[in-house]
Amino acid sequence: MNLLRAFPAMMRIGFAEAVAYRAEMVVWVLATTLPLVMLGLWNAAAEGGPVGGYDQIAFTRYFVVILVVRHLTSVWLVWEVNWMIRTGSLSPWLLRPVSFLWWNLAQTLGGWPLRVLVILPLIAGIALWRPEIAWAPGPVALLAGAVSVLLALAAQYLVQCIFGALSFFLDQSVGLYNAWFAVWALLSGYALPVSLLPGWAQTLAVWLPFRATLGAPVSILLGEAPILPTLLFQAAWIAALALLARLTWEAGVRRYGAFGA
Amino acid sequence: MIEVAGLSKTFRVPQKEEGFAASLRSIWDRRYTDVEAVRGISFRIEPGERVGFLGPNGAGKTTTLKMLAGLLHPTAGQVRVLGHVPQARSPELLSRITLVMGQKQQLLWDLPPRETFALNRALYNVPEAEYRRTLDDLVDLLQLAPLLDRPVRNLSLGERMKCELAAALIHRPEVLFLDEPTIGLDVAMQQQVRAFILACNQRFNATILLTSHYMQDIQAITPRLLLIDQGSLCYDGSLDALARRVAPERRLIVRAADPALIPLLLPLGFAPEGADRGADRLVCTVPAGEANARIARLLQAAPMAEFEVESPPLEEVIRRVFQKNDQEKT
Repeated sequence: MNLLRAFPAMMRIGFAEAVAYRAEMVVWVLATTLPLVMLGLWNAAAEGGPVGGYDQIAFTRYFVVILVVRHLTSVWLVWEVNWMIRTGSLSPWLLRPVSFLWWNLAQTLGGWPLRVLVILPLIAGIALWRPEIAWAPGPVALLAGAVSVLLALAAQYLVQCIFGALSFFLDQSVGLYNAWFAVWALLSGYALPVSLLPGWAQTLAVWLPFRATLGAPVSILLGEAPILPTLLFQAAWIAALALLARLTWEAGVRRYGAFGA
Repeated sequence: MIEVAGLSKTFRVPQKEEGFAASLRSIWDRRYTDVEAVRGISFRIEPGERVGFLGPNGAGKTTTLKMLAGLLHPTAGQVRVLGHVPQARSPELLSRITLVMGQKQQLLWDLPPRETFALNRALYNVPEAEYRRTLDDLVDLLQLAPLLDRPVRNLSLGERMKCELAAALIHRPEVLFLDEPTIGLDVAMQQQVRAFILACNQRFNATILLTSHYMQDIQAITPRLLLIDQGSLCYDGSLDALARRVAPERRLIVRAADPALIPLLLPLGFAPEGADRGADRLVCTVPAGEANARIARLLQAAPMAEFEVESPPLEEVIRRVFQKNDQEKT
């Protein structure tokens, strides 16, 4: 109950922080442009004709939606937690009755308006370049897509919470997260549509959690996946990740050395 | 209130020798040593008490404070604070205590302190009216008004420390763990912070456990002392009793403005203090119980002599305790 009452104030202050760090945030957001790079590559590959069922318009539409969902679901928790554990600056948060993880989530959501402001001109530019990409998902797909984006954010957040908590045990866990990211970029749909992967990789993508953090909402919004099973797939992975995140975080806090404080 | 029994903490610390070969070897052969930071200490603190926690660097003061606040898990022993086990970090306990660490900040760096106060109000679920009252009190006691709307990064160390204290007290904690709250502050700011800590105790009956390297903090704030050395508690009692036990002597100092006085004082055991302090200062160190008799003899020999009586400074008292402790251990 206390958390529910506190959350709006936390988000407001998170927004104030995002505004204070606006220059850094704009750079971060603009740096997350891999989908645009991939769009350029696949656009060139599809010049002679469709690749795996995707023509130039389909690729453009796909990567624009990937870009938007990625910006709404990107989280920096793993870097933050690594830094806070090593410097001891996590200590003041462990003394408060609301977890740092909730505060970081509030900061992430508080930063949304600024992220949207930064990516809107990008989207507008692409829409001017390729107006044919316009499509209109139905109201159900739109609503389910919005829910799926929130679930993807939760899944992504929990994954980073697990990797962040590993730094209680290791000196640094950012390297491990980077290894995860390399696999994630392929199996989540970030670098290319999952349907273009070899069969065995597609099977992995169907069962592993990568798609729950990005590909799932994109598929729903583009009408490429059935809504209910996709949302259930995300929800099941969130439950598993939440359990693992809780266990890792709690075990980690027990080992916390509060160094530097 | 605060009950500590047989509390110990051992850290496992990685060891690495110097040089490239040692770095390479440490990839597969990591070596650790166990460091016993706190060794089986026990004490009890009642509600509203003000207790000073003193010890040399690395004695285990901050580690103990962190265990009391629930930041660190003890290796052995029991702790209870307000009836709770701190390391369980229950929101109920966290809402009733605070730990202020001199060098660690909870303030949001790029926002004005007012935003951190508002964040803490939300996190601790402090009702709006109570928050306003507390904030007004804190602003008044710590003279924060000109600082409230300036980004924290633009504040001086002392100003930040005052804001840290205010942020830590927005929820009116019943127990204050203060780890070197005056470190790095100028003399005037130190006095303000001391007065503030005392006011917290007097106005809200807050229990205070304070570590500091400044003896003035201890003298001004904490009538009871806990001395810790190499992880073990070596004294628990009042400051006066400690001084009586460890340094039971008095220094009688006479300013012999008239050189004719000097030959009269030398037979009484007085001697010039040192060239740097002036040859007219004569000093005699006597057991506390004999001080009055020596003063009577002094006045008999030199009725016009101006004199003063000094107890050994607190720094000296503490130094002797730790020195004795070292000798006993070796």
